[in-house]
Amino acid sequence: MSLLHTNAWRSTTSRLILIYGVLFAVWGLILVAVIQWETNRYLNGVIDQMLVQRMHYLAATDAPRLPATVDAASKIDPHGIMSVGLFDSAGHVLAGNVDRIPAELHVDGRAHLLNGGMPRPDRVEGSIRVRAMAMTLPSGQILVLAKDTSTIDGLGAITRRALLWGISLTIIPGLLGGFLLRRGPAQRIRELQLATEPIRQGDLTKRLPVSRRGDELDLLAGIVNTMLGEIERLMNEVKGVCDNIAHDLRTPLTRLRARLYRTQQQLLGQQPEAALVDACMVDIDAVLARFRALLRVSELEDRHRSACFAEVDLARVLREVHEFYAPVAEDREQPFDLDIQPLPPVRADAHLLFEALANLVGNAIKFTPIGGSVQLRASMDRDGPRIDILDSGPGIPADERDAVTRRFYRGDNSRTTPGSGVGLSIVSAIVRLHGYALDIGDAANGARITLYCYPVKPGEVPGTCLARTVSVARHEATT
Amino acid sequence: MPRVLVIEDDEVTAGEIVAELSVHGMLAEWVSDGRVGLARASTENYDLITLDRMLPGMDGIDVVAALRQQQIDTPVLMISALSEVDERVRGLRAGGDDYLTKPFAPDEMAARVEVLLRRRQPQAEPRLRVADLELDLVRHTAHRKGQLLNLLPTEFRLLEFMMRNSGQVLTRTMIFETVWGFHFDPGTNIIDVHIGRLRRKIDGTGQVPLIRTVRGTGYMLVSAPQSVSV
Repeated sequence: MSLLHTNAWRSTTSRLILIYGVLFAVWGLILVAVIQWETNRYLNGVIDQMLVQRMHYLAATDAPRLPATVDAASKIDPHGIMSVGLFDSAGHVLAGNVDRIPAELHVDGRAHLLNGGMPRPDRVEGSIRVRAMAMTLPSGQILVLAKDTSTIDGLGAITRRALLWGISLTIIPGLLGGFLLRRGPAQRIRELQLATEPIRQGDLTKRLPVSRRGDELDLLAGIVNTMLGEIERLMNEVKGVCDNIAHDLRTPLTRLRARLYRTQQQLLGQQPEAALVDACMVDIDAVLARFRALLRVSELEDRHRSACFAEVDLARVLREVHEFYAPVAEDREQPFDLDIQPLPPVRADAHLLFEALANLVGNAIKFTPIGGSVQLRASMDRDGPRIDILDSGPGIPADERDAVTRRFYRGDNSRTTPGSGVGLSIVSAIVRLHGYALDIGDAANGARITLYCYPVKPGEVPGTCLARTVSVARHEATT
Repeated sequence: MPRVLVIEDDEVTAGEIVAELSVHGMLAEWVSDGRVGLARASTENYDLITLDRMLPGMDGIDVVAALRQQQIDTPVLMISALSEVDERVRGLRAGGDDYLTKPFAPDEMAARVEVLLRRRQPQAEPRLRVADLELDLVRHTAHRKGQLLNLLPTEFRLLEFMMRNSGQVLTRTMIFETVWGFHFDPGTNIIDVHIGRLRRKIDGTGQVPLIRTVRGTGYMLVSAPQSVSV
């Protein structure tokens, strides 16, 4: 997956910032809630004290003068902040600005919060939340006092607004900072991703970039680089052993062949030993051919970018391959069809492309039974030209498709057929050199090998067998 | 008797080359050093030079380049352990006439030497003739005993190559490299199949066979079929 298209929230930095932001907001909320609760408790205490003081003052007033005092007190409250009412024991109003005792107020001389407010005939906007107190006087009358809590509520609103501002001013720069912070590591990862692309495509000499910061990413890149170094060393050792064996053995084998040839010339087919020498010559030629093929794979693998790439007319190469193999197919009574649709030129080494296709077609003909059929087909895929080699042979079993591109691998089907076992390795090396892709699959009545003549897609390794079954099925359905 | 200069540092390989060329009726002289080889090739008259690519004293590429600079056009067969296509191109560009990769079969080497020796003769004729077989290079037609042969373009090129080198042994590799122009091992018996087809067309029933199989090596278009036992 490309980092360029990764969802921003999937980055570790983003997630850490988000978690930190949520924790910060929750903590801020708890802090403000505690402050508000404490403030409320304190202010409620202050109001209750005021109510108690006023209650004691009025209770101490002489009973006959009390209604007048209550009326006078209610008159100096034009904003309805402090309510006062005097009722007889039956609850009928005697004086003050309260017209009845609220049902939820207990007459016990203690302050209570009345959410329903205090009913006041002089207020048009209705009841407001109050803290109230009612007490039965020695005369049997009931004195009611109330003070609104708008100050406390106002303070609560201010605190909540402050919380909102605080969180907003923290979260917005936090997110912005987070976005900027995320870009740093994302950029590094993108560099690492770009650096791994040639490695994935088989160039083990490449390494991941390591900065001078020495952070976690550098530590990881260092570990991967050490691993890559070790893999490269082992690969070179294995390859070196193979190549050295081939190099060391070919001189004595060449001499052996020369001596056999000389003996063959001297015997001139007369003596009975001649047949034996002929058989030896065939065997030694097969061994030398195998060595040459092995060295050819090595040569192609080492070649990298030195191939003679140019604009190549695929149709021409295919016609040459078809013409080259048509007599062989004819000898084996195999109809060998060539079907070429208009194709754009591709960037390739024409000689190597011929070699790869010749190997594939040669294999198709070789492994298809006499009387079967072989088809060489070229068409345009969604992304570029594709070449299909279809035959009615047994094909390559699905579990062997990856292995057949390795050096010397021979499937069960091929053990009885002559060959070096290097053909598909050569094809694979050529395909890799071009950056193309190879796909081995099934056809309607046999086997199919597809060569995609355009650069591999991200995530695919050139020269290996792919499983693009969907596009293949679609292609076959349309043809 | 053609004189061949063998410039090769490996004694065993040189011995093989000299022995094989002697069998083919050539006088082969061996030197193991590039500088000595260049001096010898510049002062004496040889019909052909086989030249190793990697030599002590002076590199094979430099030897052939120096020869060409001195206007010496003796055919040069480059023999090298370096099989890369790029190396072949370098060798041929420097002035080599053919390129053979080690390990090689002595008969393959001798066949190439003989073809190179033949190539020195002028080849501008518009018509090739071998026994009763005639090839018109201008009209692209082939006749045997006056009968028109129906040849495909590849078969025509194959026959032209064989007729130009009639009487010479041509290996399968040489045929593939010259007629198809590719330098890899096509494997199996594909060249045999192509020769078989051509043979059916030119050596039809009642005709004296012209294409002869050289056991273990390749093919030869015989120039005097009557004198050759097939």
